[in-house]
Amino acid sequence: MKKVYLGVDIGSVSINLVAIDYNNEIIFKEYSRSNGQPLISTKKALLNLKDKLDGNYEICGVGTTGSGRQLIGMMLGADVVKNEITAHATATMNYVKDARTIFEIGGQDSKMIFLKDGFITDFAMNTVCAAGTGSFLDHQAERLGVPIEEFGDHARKANRNVRIAGRCTVFAESDMISKQQFGFSKEDIINGLCEALVRNYLSNLGRGKKLEPPYVFQGGVAANNGIKDAFERELGAKVFVPENFHVMGALGVAILAKEFIYETKRKTNFRGFETANIDFVPTTFECSGCSNVCEVIKVEVNKEVVAMWGDKCGKWTNSF
Amino acid sequence: MKMTFPHMGNPIIYKKLIELLGHEIVCPNKPTKKTIELGVKHSPEFACFPMKAIMGTYIESLERGADVIVTSGGHGPCRAGFYGEVHKKILNNMGYDVEFIVFDSIHKDFKGFMKNMMKLVKHSSLLKVYKSFRLVYKITKDIDYFEKIIQTKRAYEINKGECSKALQEIISLYDKVQDHKELEKIKKTSEYIVDNIPIKYVEEDHKIRIGIVGEIYVVMESSVNMKIEEVLASLGCEVRRSHYLSDWAEHNIVPKIFRHDREEEILKKGEPYIEVQIGGHAKETLGHIVDYKEKGLDGIIHLLPFGCLPELVSQSIIPRMSREIDMPILSIALDEQSGLSNNLTRIEAFVDIIKTKKKRKIVS
Ligand code: SF4
Repeated sequence: MKKVYLGVDIGSVSINLVAIDYNNEIIFKEYSRSNGQPLISTKKALLNLKDKLDGNYEICGVGTTGSGRQLIGMMLGADVVKNEITAHATATMNYVKDARTIFEIGGQDSKMIFLKDGFITDFAMNTVCAAGTGSFLDHQAERLGVPIEEFGDHARKANRNVRIAGRCTVFAESDMISKQQFGFSKEDIINGLCEALVRNYLSNLGRGKKLEPPYVFQGGVAANNGIKDAFERELGAKVFVPENFHVMGALGVAILAKEFIYETKRKTNFRGFETANIDFVPTTFECSGCSNVCEVIKVEVNKEVVAMWGDKCGKWTNSF
Repeated sequence: MKMTFPHMGNPIIYKKLIELLGHEIVCPNKPTKKTIELGVKHSPEFACFPMKAIMGTYIESLERGADVIVTSGGHGPCRAGFYGEVHKKILNNMGYDVEFIVFDSIHKDFKGFMKNMMKLVKHSSLLKVYKSFRLVYKITKDIDYFEKIIQTKRAYEINKGECSKALQEIISLYDKVQDHKELEKIKKTSEYIVDNIPIKYVEEDHKIRIGIVGEIYVVMESSVNMKIEEVLASLGCEVRRSHYLSDWAEHNIVPKIFRHDREEEILKKGEPYIEVQIGGHAKETLGHIVDYKEKGLDGIIHLLPFGCLPELVSQSIIPRMSREIDMPILSIALDEQSGLSNNLTRIEAFVDIIKTKKKRKIVS
């Protein structure tokens, strides 16, 4: 049986799952919406994986990342639970060894990661402002009645430059409407939106930092050529989009899990595919211990509590 | 008259002082979610976060019967200097009949300071006042001393949560101190407590030390800073922070000739980056970063309240500074809706960077 290593990136909106072999080649990958239900969507992905691997492979290591990494890590029996920054950068270096700056734009959040000699030296994360993330484009695409997948092609057909205020989605929207009334074409507007997003992203996350090539662009939004073009124009340099740009978090943490297993020579903690049949029951309750009234999350398997978190005082978390 | 004051870090010091001077006291509760909600509801939206949190604390204390609020003012062009006034206006509008005693720095306004002081010491003899101050000052020093030990040991504790518990125990011991003789005894007991916390062995090369700098309220008040010291400890980091009460007391109360003033030193170190005092703790923040670099710490976490102007200025200088002195620095803005899981990701990634940086140094 061939050995594979599993990486799961679980966020609030999507789940990525990849299985890699010893050479970091992807044997299986799945990207789907998690709809705020990380447990159910992970189970589904796991069952798909089981079908696909079809008894020919053995899972020798598991890693999780993303905002749900703790929960899913516990459920799967992960060997490595890592933050998204480290995971993304690890995957990038698999494709572009000497990468210096990574642009990572997803639907809900965006990051910028700086590297030198294969190590992360700095990073920035955007979490509050939608103007620098994919949801900004999603929203405007809907307004314009253009499917987001076609955004890139439209942007490339633009023949006039139009500058759209991109500081904030609210202003962008009203600016876009007025530019439409001025008679700019859809293509021009779409191109303007792409540029606005890039400008906003660069000034928000890159403020005060030195950006150096080679540049790598990944995350869901990297599917959009319009944005890639806008980046290249703004930076005056080539921007590289790696092959598996949308599952980089999962890939990275799979690599980390593999390395961990090799370095420590341990056996994996993976609970096996049966996990998909175990009922993990998360419930929440309000603690009345003090006026913090924390919403505590409790996960049970067969009526036995296996994890708890969400308390400020540590009363519940520490009971494990 | 029942006195109260803001909650910042450890309330025992103010509590003791006011008690020793013979006043009745309503000790403020540690801010909770409810406190913050209350404060946010009754504060201007664009006020900075500490003002809102303290607003909530006041309301809760007044509800519990307090009618005099003792607090410190601010110096320089930072809004914090007006907060006493603003809090008072809002509370009056809400129907609370409350007196404010606002202490500005003794060095800037000696007369005003003394006038306030007279209100506080009305019933006490001068000797008693002097004795009370000395005792409380010593308690502050002791507690800070033990807290620093805890901040170091917590990174290596074997039983999760034991260090924090020990610190609580020590503080409640000091809460009972009435005179200098007791002080000695309690110091010994406390030494014993901290000495007996089991820790795991970590090689010197692998130790990670992080300094926390920034605006004083969010640096000191763990209930609004996601308990950052404990978070860092759980990632294996020793912690120091830029503000301790004893330093503050020394700088603001002890006459210049009697003190070895760390704060003056710190301000000097910040000078190359911000020339003038722009209020708040901006200049101190940068000074502390330089100081921590000199002391050999491995990284800095900079905490700023959302909407804090002085810290916004220091935040904009930090990237350049970080390059110049080769020090990893992470800025985190805090407000009533701070997303915990996002900040945890940041902190974890930041500690990862420091770890790899250290590892490489050891290898090469
Ligand atoms: S979990 Fe702790 S902090 Fe939260 S409400 Fe209960 S006692 Fe209070």
